[in-house]
Amino acid sequence: MVEEKDLEQRLHDLRPYLEYPTTPNLVVAVRARLVAARRPWWSSFGIPRRLVLAAAAVLIVIGGLAAIPQTRDTIAHWFGVKGVLVNTVPSLPPGPLGHDLMLGYRTTLADARAGARFRVLVPTESTLGQPDEVWFNQAVPQGEVSFVYHTRPGLPTSSTTDVAILVMEIQGSVDKNFFGKMIGPGTTLTEVTVNGGPGYWIEGNPHVIFFKDALGNFRDENLRLASNTLLWQQGDVTLRIEGPLTKAQALQIAASMQ
Amino acid sequence: MEGRPLEDSELVERAKQGDVNAYAELVARYQEVAFRVAYHIAGVEADAEEAAQEAFIKAYYALGRFRPGAPWRPWLLRIVANEARNRRSASARRTGLALRAAEARASGDTALSPEVLAEARAQRAELLDAIHQLAEPDQLALTYRYFLDLSEEEMAAALDCARGTVKSRLSRALGRLREVMGVVQHG
Repeated sequence: MVEEKDLEQRLHDLRPYLEYPTTPNLVVAVRARLVAARRPWWSSFGIPRRLVLAAAAVLIVIGGLAAIPQTRDTIAHWFGVKGVLVNTVPSLPPGPLGHDLMLGYRTTLADARAGARFRVLVPTESTLGQPDEVWFNQAVPQGEVSFVYHTRPGLPTSSTTDVAILVMEIQGSVDKNFFGKMIGPGTTLTEVTVNGGPGYWIEGNPHVIFFKDALGNFRDENLRLASNTLLWQQGDVTLRIEGPLTKAQALQIAASMQ
Repeated sequence: MEGRPLEDSELVERAKQGDVNAYAELVARYQEVAFRVAYHIAGVEADAEEAAQEAFIKAYYALGRFRPGAPWRPWLLRIVANEARNRRSASARRTGLALRAAEARASGDTALSPEVLAEARAQRAELLDAIHQLAEPDQLALTYRYFLDLSEEEMAAALDCARGTVKSRLSRALGRLREVMGVVQHG
């Protein structure tokens, strides 16, 4: 017979003697899934997905950009993730931005050039000067190089971010019919020629992007362009400049890439 | 994230802003309790892992509905329990808790004689066997309280019941355990 007063104590005491299955490491799997399908920007506002899709149906759908298979994810990633960067900078945790942007690791220009399997171009536009941070992402085929420019005198600034401009480069080409963009009032996409290559200038309000992933499935991604974006192909490299720039300023920086 | 460890609420706020690293920290903190709650419900290790992982994903996408300032763990455990219930398979062979083959010894055990240790081991086996004889809701109530050390609010979430009924459910489970074990009640 067991005394009642002992029962709860006995239950407590049993705990360290119990055999549980080993707890699996869920961190890697959960993180990978979240990164693969970034949270749609509208969810931050509590807008149901079906309403977004319904609203999107009445928006203008513009034929978009396309990429060869090995660069699809990267280009989509640029749009889907880096747009969030600029808009959410005020709430980013302290520390190097690149960790949150999945830019890879912070390094030197020389190291990035050594790691990339393509010729890395750097803006030589005088108002930019040297990039404040250089990042290299070896997870992207052939490598991905990113330059971060913080706010400084002479550079266009945003009232909501310390980051002025983000320049990113990968190897790959841009084709048509890869992804579409649903662009609402206040956002425009313009075809441009940059240094002799095809390009696109996207300016205005946040907009939704959808694209085919490597498996051919349509996915939507978050895109909150607080600032504008110039995307273009130069040789075998696709480049992207994002920042609170005018089209002329972005084209000027693009023209200075060497 | 240098200096002091961030509070759950700080990590949640950062995760709401899309900071996956902050959310990964929350996963690291609570994956064990999430997995164990799921394991008690689903009864199968693989199902528990799947349920816990799915729960963390769903919780992330539901952060917009999470009330700022509220404790995050009960909120998470409610999602975990729901996922685990959805994965319960009637045909699956559920594996109940067992005692460790090589028993962990509480400090002081080493000073005890082999006979006393054997008696303590037998009592633990008897207690666990009695728990296994209880209906599942009673087993879960006892498990959450005494083995996983959940708070009342967390128990309510995991048991999918009102917080006000947790005490009565626990009391009922203890009563049934007493009956099974033939516990002597005083006063």
